[in-house]
Amino acid sequence: MSELFTDAEDVRRRLAEVGHLVDVGTATALYLATVLDRPLLLEGEPGVGKTSAAKALAEALDTPLIRLQCYEGLTAGEALYEWNYQRQLLAVRLTEARGEHLADADLFTEEFLLDRPLLRAVRHQGPLPPVLLIDEIDRADDEFEALLFEFLGEWAITIPELGTFAAVRPPVVVLTSNRSRELHDALRRRCLYHWIDFPSPERAAEILRRSVPAANEPLIASATEFIGRVRALDLDKAPGMAEAIDWVSALAALRVSRLARRDVVTTLSAVAKSPDDRTAITGALEELGYPEEARRP
Amino acid sequence: MTRISDPFLPAVDRAAFAVALADRLRRRGVPVGLTATQDFVAALAASPPATRTALYWTARVTLVRDQPQLARFDEVFDSVFGEAVLAVDPHARRDGRGGSPPREDEVHAPPPAGASGDPIEAAGLPWVTLPSVVSGAEHDDAYASTVPERLPTDVAGAVDTPFEQLGEREAELLGRWLETALRQWPTRRSRRHAVRPGGHRVAIRETVARARRTGWEPVRLVRTGAVDRPRRVVVLCDVSRSMQAQAVAYLHLMRALALTTHAEVFAFATSLTRLTTVLAHRSAQTAFEEATERVVDRFGGTRIAHCLEALLASHHGGTLRGAVVLIASDGWDGDPPERLAAAMARLRRRAHTVVWLNPRAGAPGFAPRTTTMTAALPHVDLLLPADTFAALLRVPAEIARLTGRDGRTARPVRPLVSTPWT
Repeated sequence: MSELFTDAEDVRRRLAEVGHLVDVGTATALYLATVLDRPLLLEGEPGVGKTSAAKALAEALDTPLIRLQCYEGLTAGEALYEWNYQRQLLAVRLTEARGEHLADADLFTEEFLLDRPLLRAVRHQGPLPPVLLIDEIDRADDEFEALLFEFLGEWAITIPELGTFAAVRPPVVVLTSNRSRELHDALRRRCLYHWIDFPSPERAAEILRRSVPAANEPLIASATEFIGRVRALDLDKAPGMAEAIDWVSALAALRVSRLARRDVVTTLSAVAKSPDDRTAITGALEELGYPEEARRP
Repeated sequence: MTRISDPFLPAVDRAAFAVALADRLRRRGVPVGLTATQDFVAALAASPPATRTALYWTARVTLVRDQPQLARFDEVFDSVFGEAVLAVDPHARRDGRGGSPPREDEVHAPPPAGASGDPIEAAGLPWVTLPSVVSGAEHDDAYASTVPERLPTDVAGAVDTPFEQLGEREAELLGRWLETALRQWPTRRSRRHAVRPGGHRVAIRETVARARRTGWEPVRLVRTGAVDRPRRVVVLCDVSRSMQAQAVAYLHLMRALALTTHAEVFAFATSLTRLTTVLAHRSAQTAFEEATERVVDRFGGTRIAHCLEALLASHHGGTLRGAVVLIASDGWDGDPPERLAAAMARLRRRAHTVVWLNPRAGAPGFAPRTTTMTAALPHVDLLLPADTFAALLRVPAEIARLTGRDGRTARPVRPLVSTPWT
């Protein structure tokens, strides 16, 4: 069985090839998740690239990304599998009309089975395992977490009428969480854990260079520095990498080449996501290095 | 990243190494389970770390399971593996310009000044392959006296009076009463569905399963309806000097709520401390002892507005959504009332119900005249006296009454106070 990656450096290089830059910690975490066949729980502030890390991983491996978005009340019927009842009832009517005999086993075949994300990941046929992204697990409720345990431990799903499906190769499972709710210890125990931090200024600049090709070098440099300083302010929602990319895209779209106070104020809505934060940043513009410009006559 | 001669760990018994490191982490309060240790060994086998940085990330990803433990992990790793790893560690960089300011509520028990940056223990790991002088050094009494373990100092000793013990009979009575009273706790409709007669939706799976008995003719429809859940509860308890007498009783209320309704509980005075995990301990004695240890700023001043802002900004702020928020405080605040009003308004927009428990409200002739209370009152649904156990025990019933029988009825006109001072 071939390994997916040779080492953490390989992960970093191949993710960079598909345009996603990760630090050595995230690369190690992703590498260990693939080599140890353990699910990986990614946590971090919103907008640091948890979901995009999983997407980039699938792209780098050239395997399908199977995504399960969590919400309260998510059930087995939406996460594991469901029978296609409409088709089953139709099949019943059809055989009755033909005067044929129908056994239970004829109705509960794979023909009538609807794959939901988890079963799809288990039944995936291919040289490489798929990447299964269980997004925002903290939004699901305790019942769903408990439902995941068998799957995460055994990589198998049991359907009473058909039997147990076991994965040929365990899928690469990435769970993300925004910590809006404490996850159960049993779930944490089953996963490797990585906390993604906001990237360093140099890395942030590198990421911006990749994602916003239209922006020029001085703009990216001053924008990263600005974001770094804004993050040190006491804000309700510190701008993440996603906000930084949005903001620089906005500035590039407005054809700004040198960051001035006027540009910061007009595009601030991309960085500050609440009125309080907006006031705080506007108030601190002076010390952030963008003083009130003298009125030109 | 400094390249060290490859391999980084020559001739080390991986299992013994992992167990020793895990043990050291556990002693420092990082809960490292057997699964995690096993993962660490497997990871070391899969990719032997060539540098200390690689070892750091391998150990961190496999051994640590939650973000608040990262700081302590860094300390232990630093103390074991010599030179500071902080330069390569983004977690430590958070204090720098690239990082966000640390959130108040996450600093549960800050170590005494000076201890955080220092190595905790100078002795190395009990390496099986190292000379016995090093591995035995830890158990040597003389050694212990020269290199003492860094323990929290008694700097905080002035405020270190324990929460007073409640009389055994009273505590028992309170517990029993609270258990029965909490049955009337308000509920909310969840998005999870369960089979029940009179539900709104037809459950196809169950209906078809039943139809198998009637020749695949769905004669009887099975219905599902939304399940009701207890509403989330967030309790904020003032433990400043002016609330010293009530602190123990409120701690009992918080524990009862944490156990029965899975409430999030916080204590505040000048800073906010999360007590949810501590108070949920099975033994009440241990729970209260640990809570006493956790709250470092008790019986001092009060900064209600500051603490509310910290809670709203932290990641626990999400738990306030649609929750019943109980604030237990006498309303003596060191912060300006405008700040409190702004924070309370934000809290009110996020929460379902805001209830203020004031120990002074039970006194005859009480009027909420302090500037703090007048600032907060417009954003409070219910102001309740909480000076005696009896008053405390009435709280769940009052809240249930306010939110309707099942917690889904319309909100009353605010502020609703049951005494004539409005």
